[in-house]
Amino acid sequence: MPSYSTDRRGALKILGAIGASCVGPVAGDELYGRTADEVATPVAPSFFTKTDFETISRVSELIIPGAVSAGVPSYIDWVVSRNAAQQALMTDGLRWLDGAGELSVVLHPLCEAADAGRTQGRMVQWFALMKSLTADGYYTSRVGLVEDLGYKGNTMMASYPECVHEH
Amino acid sequence: MRKIYDVVVIGSGAGGGTVSSRLANLGADVLVLEGGPKVNTRTDFNTHAMPFEFASRSIPTMKPGKAGFDSERSRGLGGKTMLWNAVALRMSQRDFKGRQFDGDGVDWPIDYADLAPFYDRIEREVGVCGNLDHLEDLPDGIFLPPVPLKCTDKMIQAGAKTLDIPIIHVRKATLSRPTPARPSCHFCGNCMSGCDVVAKYNSADVQMYPAVRAGKPLTLQPNSIVYELGISDGKVSEVRYLDRETGKQNVARGRVVVVACACVQSVALLMMSGIANSSGQLGKNFIPHITCGVEAFLEPQIGKPVVNDEGFLDHAYLPSFMHSRKRDYPRSFGAQFNYQNRRSVGWARSFPGMGQAYKDAVRAHYPAYVTLNGYTEMLPNEKSFIDLDPVLKDAYGIPLARRHWSLSESDWARYNDMKEWNQRILKSAQGKIHSVNQHPETNHEIGGCRMGSDPKTSVLDASCRAHDVPNLYVADASVFPNASEKNPTLTIMALGLRTAETIADRLKKGEV
Repeated sequence: MPSYSTDRRGALKILGAIGASCVGPVAGDELYGRTADEVATPVAPSFFTKTDFETISRVSELIIPGAVSAGVPSYIDWVVSRNAAQQALMTDGLRWLDGAGELSVVLHPLCEAADAGRTQGRMVQWFALMKSLTADGYYTSRVGLVEDLGYKGNTMMASYPECVHEH
Repeated sequence: MRKIYDVVVIGSGAGGGTVSSRLANLGADVLVLEGGPKVNTRTDFNTHAMPFEFASRSIPTMKPGKAGFDSERSRGLGGKTMLWNAVALRMSQRDFKGRQFDGDGVDWPIDYADLAPFYDRIEREVGVCGNLDHLEDLPDGIFLPPVPLKCTDKMIQAGAKTLDIPIIHVRKATLSRPTPARPSCHFCGNCMSGCDVVAKYNSADVQMYPAVRAGKPLTLQPNSIVYELGISDGKVSEVRYLDRETGKQNVARGRVVVVACACVQSVALLMMSGIANSSGQLGKNFIPHITCGVEAFLEPQIGKPVVNDEGFLDHAYLPSFMHSRKRDYPRSFGAQFNYQNRRSVGWARSFPGMGQAYKDAVRAHYPAYVTLNGYTEMLPNEKSFIDLDPVLKDAYGIPLARRHWSLSESDWARYNDMKEWNQRILKSAQGKIHSVNQHPETNHEIGGCRMGSDPKTSVLDASCRAHDVPNLYVADASVFPNASEKNPTLTIMALGLRTAETIADRLKKGEV
């Protein structure tokens, strides 16, 4: 196996494992690729305003409880800041939410419509985008993939285990 | 005076790697021109990375600062064998002579028996694992022991059995036992991100580098993007290329030239050179594989403990069964399945619900998730062809190749039947269907430079030599007259071995 310990990312990986993740309000996952200085300074969202970022955070947490601690809002900001079509949809969605009422109440009908494939409405489209981004962000995070789902792969096995179940 | 090699091989993947290493081992002086850089499979790919190591949550192919695989013309030494999934299937007599079996399409100018000895030897050379299944339509080979099936494979196998459909161990050019030069697979599940121990075959580490190390006359020249073949006296006299890094033009010369740039790029190169097209068939007969993916959850597995079943991606294969059943279309289909990594949970996007109940349901369904991807062929038709974009050029100023494809009525009938069978098979294994891909997609580019006995209807003769140019050969899937539903790479390699020996023979006799 090659040693990764000499490159920057590898060094940070070790740093993260021994406790640097308590430096700032970031999940351990977000440490990758960033220097200790960068980590110590909280990163401002690049597309969302502070208020909108809080709203996005609450929505993602309602879609998947634990999304915020898995760093999902920052992931959503990262993706949306690079996609003009998504920016327009997000802007419309946030404007609509403003005054639509209690979040936990207004999201459920949107979710039901999206599940039923009734996606003509702009707000359903916005919800479907939020859900896709939240699911992507959460299930590609260490919290979602490894800790929640229990992913066990990407390891070396001496042999492939025979299935012992009766099928 | 510039050196004249015996053979210049353009491209270094399954075709170019096989042809060049075999020729060098037979004593021919060979130059390989590869558009991309030299890539070290042990250190240059992000083989063991996880998505959460990147802000984008998608894993870049190369490690930071490592060049390669940045465009179709600039992959790297070893070509796509560096990142392939290694499924290695022999084609059958029905695949070579489909027209004789069920009409329509065209026959290959060779039979299974012509290629069988070369399949034997390439399997011995590179190492292919698999089971001896004694199927009429999927010939057995020289196999290393098969790798055990996954639990979910066995469940699908049991379901398919009730439909009288066999499911077998996949056959892959990945070692299930070590050799003196290579370790066996360790089932990390990263085959398509570059195998960093070379348990999986790639042409650079398994064929070309060993020939160089053994002192054979093989010169590997990466970063050389070929854009034109120059002709004089009816033969290829010059191979013109650009330096990938400086853009400087240069020329190589060989008594024989082999084009092995992976189907579409080989066709494009011959088109840019304006050669080998007296038949008017160059670029026509483009017949990529057509696939249909289905996602499902096997109900008995819902809520079961998570196991590490990534293995070497897919462990099982659904061989063709429709070829011997009543149907209203020619040819058949097969399927690869269960090759998803458990780290890809894209299905959660469209999984219904939200909140804690959703999260719990996703967790319960996670160990039960399976995919099945049917593969079928399309028969050559007028609307499926490769040409050069009249306007757009790539970063090197070379015209972009365009792919056009369209299914005929009988192709649609086969595709729709495959889509139905995919679901039927999963349902037979208590699969709850999650999604069905509603549109045909292509994979495995094939055709465009077909071989045949008649120079009026084919570009190459039965030895893969251009009818029009006596020192020009082609060695990739562009030469296939009909695709079959089977993965093309092992056939590219067997043909490559055969082509190398034909060339060596002609060099020895002084014919070229």
